[in-house]
Amino acid sequence: MAEISETQVAATAPTRPVKRIRWDTIGDHAVLIAGALLMLVPVYMVFATSSWDAITIHREGMQFGFGEDMGVNYNAALFEYGGFTDSVNGVTMLANSMILGLGFAIGKIIVGMMAAYAIVYFRLRFATLAFWMIFTTLLLPLEVRILPSYEVITAMNLGNTYTGLIVPLIASATATFFFRQYFRSVPEELIEAARIDGAGPVKFFIDILVPLSKTMIAAMFIIMFVFGWNQYLWPTLITTDESLFTLVRGIRQIIQSYADGSETPDYGQAAALAIIAMTPPVLIVVFFQNWFVKGLTESDK
Amino acid sequence: MKRAAFGHISFPILLLLPQLVIIAIFFYWPAGYALQSSFYLEDPFGFGSTFVGMDNYTRLASSSSYMDAAWFTLIFTSLVTFFALAIALLLAVKADKVIRGARTYRTLLMWVYAIAPPVAGLIGVMLFDQSRGNITQLLGMMGIEYRLGVNYWDTASAMITVSIWKQIPVNFIFFLSGLQAIPQSVREAAMIDNRSGTRRFWDITFPLLAPTGFFLLIINITYSLFDTFGIVDTIVKGQPGNNPMTLVYRVFVDGFRGQDLGGSSAQSVVLMVLVLILTIVQFRFLERRIHYT
Amino acid sequence: MNLKKTVGLGLAFGLMAGAAQAQTEIEFWHAMGGQLGETVDQMAANFNASQGDYVITPVFKGTYEETLTSAIAAFRAGEQPNIVQVFDAGAATVIGAQGATVPVEQLLSDNGVAFDREDYISGVRNFYADADGQMIGMPFNSSTPIMYYNADALEAAGVTAPATWEEFAETTAPALLEAGYIPLAQSHLPWIFTENFFSRHNLQFASNDNGYTGVDTEIMVNHPAIRAHFNALTEWQEAGYFEWYGTGWGDNQDPFEAGEVAMWLGSSGSFGGIADRVDFNFSAAMLPYWEAVTTEPTQTFIGGAALFAMSGFDAAENEATAAFFDYLASTDNQVFWHVATGYVPITTAAYEAAAEQGHYEEFPAAEVGVQQLQLPAGEFTRGYRMGFYVQIRDVMNREYGRILTGETSVEDAFETIEAEANELLARFAQTQG
Repeated sequence: MAEISETQVAATAPTRPVKRIRWDTIGDHAVLIAGALLMLVPVYMVFATSSWDAITIHREGMQFGFGEDMGVNYNAALFEYGGFTDSVNGVTMLANSMILGLGFAIGKIIVGMMAAYAIVYFRLRFATLAFWMIFTTLLLPLEVRILPSYEVITAMNLGNTYTGLIVPLIASATATFFFRQYFRSVPEELIEAARIDGAGPVKFFIDILVPLSKTMIAAMFIIMFVFGWNQYLWPTLITTDESLFTLVRGIRQIIQSYADGSETPDYGQAAALAIIAMTPPVLIVVFFQNWFVKGLTESDK
Repeated sequence: MKRAAFGHISFPILLLLPQLVIIAIFFYWPAGYALQSSFYLEDPFGFGSTFVGMDNYTRLASSSSYMDAAWFTLIFTSLVTFFALAIALLLAVKADKVIRGARTYRTLLMWVYAIAPPVAGLIGVMLFDQSRGNITQLLGMMGIEYRLGVNYWDTASAMITVSIWKQIPVNFIFFLSGLQAIPQSVREAAMIDNRSGTRRFWDITFPLLAPTGFFLLIINITYSLFDTFGIVDTIVKGQPGNNPMTLVYRVFVDGFRGQDLGGSSAQSVVLMVLVLILTIVQFRFLERRIHYT
Repeated sequence: MNLKKTVGLGLAFGLMAGAAQAQTEIEFWHAMGGQLGETVDQMAANFNASQGDYVITPVFKGTYEETLTSAIAAFRAGEQPNIVQVFDAGAATVIGAQGATVPVEQLLSDNGVAFDREDYISGVRNFYADADGQMIGMPFNSSTPIMYYNADALEAAGVTAPATWEEFAETTAPALLEAGYIPLAQSHLPWIFTENFFSRHNLQFASNDNGYTGVDTEIMVNHPAIRAHFNALTEWQEAGYFEWYGTGWGDNQDPFEAGEVAMWLGSSGSFGGIADRVDFNFSAAMLPYWEAVTTEPTQTFIGGAALFAMSGFDAAENEATAAFFDYLASTDNQVFWHVATGYVPITTAAYEAAAEQGHYEEFPAAEVGVQQLQLPAGEFTRGYRMGFYVQIRDVMNREYGRILTGETSVEDAFETIEAEANELLARFAQTQG
């Protein structure tokens, strides 16, 4: 694309010095490099900081260079059992975050796809109403309705369970909304062809619509996984069983004393946990980025 | 609805059921509960409660600190939305243009998307810290006195900066997708019609990106209103004091932290009404957009 | 899986279930993160190991506020923990909700544990008690505001820690400023320069005996003495005698630890953290007072948090809770907690035992808080009991911040605080109706 543009500019404006074109490209790279630095330098600093001891970090703040405590901090963050029952360390917290992220993403995609399918592909008198009901939930966050949600979960005896952790988070419309958008952009001919072939709604959904939506599903999966993975307030309220603690909660437990200054928080270990907590979602985002971008592109047609 | 839709009745209801049940239990029930308790003053343990009519609402209207929070929310939301969109758009246009390293840039720019809001807040609070913050020290060298937690606007700028930083990747990805979805033929036609890159962008690319942009606008407004909660909480260290706070954070401060159920419920209801207005705007826009495409 | 293994597993489960049945299990929700949390875990583990009848499980539930709210939500859902840690500003909410908790004095005597409130240090005894002095909550991590000072700095300036604010303004501050230090900083204006300011000068803080005897309480914060104090603060700030670093606790403590600020008012519980981090000699003194207000300064009261026994449990579980409280209050454990964390011991016996061990000879600063809590009491020194106090503190923090950033005057700020606090108190009274 840039090549075309350069040729074009060069061809139509031959009086301009050729040098300027190069400057243009360099300018583009400069902007991108500046952007990348803006995004990544803080992350790099967390990584560098995770190699220092708590006192140094407390006195001097985040670090640029590397210290000597990398091994100690990561070992403690991953393998040292914390808490009272000794049933939780970084690895179990990682597993719990994974369950929360996966459970939330998969649950939400299934529920959302089904609802969107019903709204878009059926002559349903209350489809619009249903869509509105679902859509309204898009914008009110759990933080604002957290206490009544807690009462419901406890009344249903779902405290300290993965179900209790995951299901209330599904009560928002993001996935339904995106899938509805996407389904509406799917060509009409497909369903007509399917009906001529005698495919019923179940067959059409599973054999045609789901495979067709796989990039969209991938994009949704990434968005939802990251969202579920990063939850903090809800897991803190709903779990008392240490074996269910998640990484983000573990980080909060370490940095709790940051604000009150009574003791030195284990900054190094917190930074190490933050890096560990960042890794799986980053890997997912990076590896699936092509699908991600593709899914969004198709939905925007 | 598709023109060629299925005619079944029970099957689609079955499909909708899980979603409807979940939102009824975990959204409408709590929302109804909030509406009800906004007319009461209730003991947190549930032992006593007094019906107070509209009191919880009228005191919001007359509370200068609530109005301050509302104004701040407006400023905060506008700035975060504008800069998160503008910077992401700039980066997306550049990333779409360059050939060499496009994928690398994309990978690097998406990274921050995966960071949990409390962690983003912690990074911010460490960087802007009064005595040991790297950015504070940098500003100090430039002769700027920066005092997070003391000066209202210094704290505000940290909240805004971190919130923008956290949101750039999502906007970037959507914009880039939008740009790459512009058909080659349109691009080539644009090349012939327009010499100037800037004019080409504003005349051709920008209108084509408008649907994505408008959609992102709504997403960013809701992000600034709601999802910045963890960032605000970490930056004020749970103690708002004389620092700015957003409306959603105030619901949390008064309700979850301060146990004023009636007062915070009234605030939730006000938010819900705002959200409803936003929803209507978005719905109308979407319908129009789908009509166009 | 082979049969033998299955049978073995079954047997093991059976045995475990049998063992679990014999022991009463109770849960304890707390807000102690980091190393403090580890110390709490350690004490709970020691308790479990010390006897075979009860098993306690401590659970970290976030900040003080998050812990209290979680416990209240759990109570409403019938899933409350046996014990919850409640911080000072939340005390009125919990104590006001009669029926939510079992008063600790009653719990202990019901379960045959000898209890004498006179065993407790006087500044500790009353904060979590009712109007008659019956202890409702069991003081746990108790601290009181004291003045830490950089001994090297004071020596360089040729001064000693000031006993009164007059001495500070006339002698200490100018000398410290001269010696290149910022003389004074503090953390937590509502706690140190309001609640304990009233107690230190034996001034009435709220109607109804500081709120202890009724729920229709009005705050009396707009007092000439405290207005004069804040006016002095702004003058000191102007003159460079005092610096304010915001509402954040640590933001005010850091410059002291960095050696920029010579004297810092903080919590007696901050002792351990400071000792870990500073490389100068430091010590502590009692909170200064205004000679112009009183010549007989009185004691301060405790902040920090207390443990409350929640109601709704059978006799066996309450017995376990009582046993744990008894264990915590024992002299050995109080000394352990005091020495490990810097929080004050809650009983006179524990204080004396710590003294005998030579703890205060080694760390004189660790004793200041305990001594200050044992100063003569006055009519208004036992604490305060006000509902929605978390929000009242928020209002104070906001207005104090505005005073110290020059956005409002002392007079306007105190009028606002009084008006907003009284509105909140009236609203709280309505929730109790």
